[in-house]
Amino acid sequence: MSTLLQVEGLTRVYGGLRAVGDLSFSVGQNEILGLIGPNGAGKTTVVNLVSGVVKPSAGRVAFKNEDVTGMAPHLLARRGLVRTFQATVVYGDRTVRENAMRGAYLTLYPGFVATLFDTPAAKRKREAAEALVSELLDWLELTSVADTIAGSMPYGYQKTLGIVIALAARPSLILLDEPVAGLSAHETDQVRDTIKRVRERGITVVVIDHNMRFISGLCDRVVVIAHGQELAQGAPRDVLRDPKVIEAYLGKSYAAARAE
Amino acid sequence: MTDTTSETVRVGELGPTGAFERKAQDAGNHRVRNLLILAFVAFAALWPLVHENTFLLTMGTLVALSVIGATSLHLIIRTGHISFAHAGFMGVGAYVCVLLVMKLQLPFAVSLAGGAAAAAALALLIGPVVLRLTGKYFVLVTFLLGEIIRMVFVEWTSMTGGSNGIFGIPAPYPALAEPHAFYYFALAAALLCVGFCARILTSEVGRAMDSVRESERVAQCSGIPALQLKVTIFVIACALAGVHGALLAHFLHYVDPSSFGMVDSLNLVVMNVIGGMNHLIGPIIGSVFLTILPELLRGYVELQRVIFGIILIVVMAALPGGILELTARVRRLLASRRS
Amino acid sequence: MLSPIIIGQVIVNGLSLSAIYVLIALGFTLLFGIMRVVNFAHGAFAMLGGYALYYLYGKYALPYPLAVPLAALIVAVLSLVLETLVFRWFYQKMFQSMIGLLGLNMALMFSSVIVWDVYERSIPPAFSGVLRLGGLILAADRLMVIGIAIIALLAFWLFMTKTRYGVAMRATADDVEIAEAQGIDTRTIYRLAFLVAIFMTALAGGLYAQIYALSPFMGERPLIVAFVVVILGGMGSIPGAALGGVILGFTESILSTFYGAAVSSFVSFGVVIALLIFRPWGLLGKPE
Repeated sequence: MSTLLQVEGLTRVYGGLRAVGDLSFSVGQNEILGLIGPNGAGKTTVVNLVSGVVKPSAGRVAFKNEDVTGMAPHLLARRGLVRTFQATVVYGDRTVRENAMRGAYLTLYPGFVATLFDTPAAKRKREAAEALVSELLDWLELTSVADTIAGSMPYGYQKTLGIVIALAARPSLILLDEPVAGLSAHETDQVRDTIKRVRERGITVVVIDHNMRFISGLCDRVVVIAHGQELAQGAPRDVLRDPKVIEAYLGKSYAAARAE
Repeated sequence: MTDTTSETVRVGELGPTGAFERKAQDAGNHRVRNLLILAFVAFAALWPLVHENTFLLTMGTLVALSVIGATSLHLIIRTGHISFAHAGFMGVGAYVCVLLVMKLQLPFAVSLAGGAAAAAALALLIGPVVLRLTGKYFVLVTFLLGEIIRMVFVEWTSMTGGSNGIFGIPAPYPALAEPHAFYYFALAAALLCVGFCARILTSEVGRAMDSVRESERVAQCSGIPALQLKVTIFVIACALAGVHGALLAHFLHYVDPSSFGMVDSLNLVVMNVIGGMNHLIGPIIGSVFLTILPELLRGYVELQRVIFGIILIVVMAALPGGILELTARVRRLLASRRS
Repeated sequence: MLSPIIIGQVIVNGLSLSAIYVLIALGFTLLFGIMRVVNFAHGAFAMLGGYALYYLYGKYALPYPLAVPLAALIVAVLSLVLETLVFRWFYQKMFQSMIGLLGLNMALMFSSVIVWDVYERSIPPAFSGVLRLGGLILAADRLMVIGIAIIALLAFWLFMTKTRYGVAMRATADDVEIAEAQGIDTRTIYRLAFLVAIFMTALAGGLYAQIYALSPFMGERPLIVAFVVVILGGMGSIPGAALGGVILGFTESILSTFYGAAVSSFVSFGVVIALLIFRPWGLLGKPE
């Protein structure tokens, strides 16, 4: 399995405080990697660092063997690395289909002059984007709500739509920032199935969450972080047994969860 | 979130029929819109023929010219930034064009291009830096920037004539010395400008602009180069503002710093706000309204400004969507009565 | 070139400008910090303060120490009507407040033109003559301005730190929701903050009009000053407004003495724009 994303010694310091310190991990082709840790562990900072929203203080991020450290999000998107956001971020006043079309910018956009004159190339690109969007909506069973205003839909749908927007950019790797935060147990299961199906499309997934059960039922491998540092790394089953993880991070809540 | 959920369609209620009806209605709206545009253009074209009054003709020309300024500002607004320096860029276009014509004796067309290019160049210099700022900071920076540009016009007396400005600017071409001719010239320029802006807004560039305005973060992660897009639009819009300024100077035959200050930038913003900021028709309605209204209250300049101020307060407090929102509300009210 | 006369002039001008600027900016920053309104009508309130002082001191010849605070108080109390009619609608709505209050600025400015006409008036100086201090020669009226401002700022500081309302105001500025959860009546706090802010602005406006000139359009300069100072110090930051006011006051005093007013304006605007770009939250503000 070849390595798609390689993170080495990633560090971010905020005014003397290390939010993330010397974190290293790699993600193989078509793998689902979980990044877990309690609230405040620096998970979102890691996503921001990898996705170019925040520049790292030290360390290196390589994607498809190219150094992309601190690269702007839109350039990463062009290279096939796309992320979603923790809070449901969709274009709330627009229809589901329009949301997806906006996500398909890279397929859709033919260049400034070409779009103004609606050249044949521009038309071809639009058709390609429309086909891509229809296919995605069909695939995730959103076609029936394609003309619904996104902001009026239940939270779970909006989360799925967030994933659709990301997929519309035709990524080879997507970074999902807390995709099940605030969802019911039933909705969580649905999102988990969606992510598994995303992998079946040949897309590599990195998912960040603190919901241990969700992560262990989904990921091939997990990286546990606490206080911005790596605590453990490995298959979910092994990591869960790691006494260091149970004590330092999962503690009572995990013990309680296992007792259920 | 806004409280518009009541108007939007909820999940489950919308079957295939619903979607179909909606599309049919959209097509109907398009037909109405096209007819309205046609009527508006016809009215504008016939305007000089229905009366002999040169004053009304002048008003028409001024409206046409300010449509250029207001719609170009609308482009910037649609990327999510409100520039309070737009009149400054008008001024740059005006002075550069006038100086090229009067000092270098260049043909008007070349000078006009020069003026627009100068405004665009300044925008290109400033844009990449200021467009990184968010909402309120952008407003404050452009506010001060506009003041700096105006101060340059006042202080650089050897070029600009200082506070007195430059007088005796000739008509662009001898044929355009005649008011009717200039009116049609301005109208053509305005229609071109509106058409161009409409084309941008309905193209994929427009879609990307809407994405950036509504959620810059998501837009960037979809691969949209947000800053580059905003700078491009800013440069285009400022070039158009330069054209507005240059044409205005040649129409009025003089140029002075007092036409390009804070109040004038504000006027352009107000045209957008009063008309409605979410649609290109907004600034057009606003231009007509804000150019005509002062003339109705002629002789009561102060009172007119007071009324303006009060309108602004009321619009912002009660109708942030401008006149367009008002018509939409009335339509909805009528529709609910009927059903 | 650096004679004691000029040094004295630079220092006294710097201090008196700083005093006025700090007062103006404090009002602006209070309104922004607590109610999240960007008061584009700020200059108009300074202008009204000028006219109030003109009538009380210039026309009705009240004793100066009484006329100055009374003028500001009258403006502040009467402005409560505008709070109810206008400002209330824009609380916590930053964007709408900018445009709406620009409208208010226009309405107030041109109402003043209708009432008082456009010509410039002057408010007679409270003191003429100079004070000699060692080798320095100091203008007495400027010293008076400094004195008044120091008293006002001291009173403001005591109010904000020692009284229950002042503390509640600071809490509201920090976080409205937490303040409300703690049982602070924000409606009262808003009105109070408005009163205090307009009082200081009108006070500064009176002093400003006395030093320069009084006209319906005099508010433009104080408005820009408020912007510049508040951006320098950090929007919503009270110590920031004080620091920014002093920096701008002395910069202007020094630059305009040696290089002229235009250079001074260019430099201060340029510095502020540069600051906004690299540190938009200002010297003492918090990044968002």
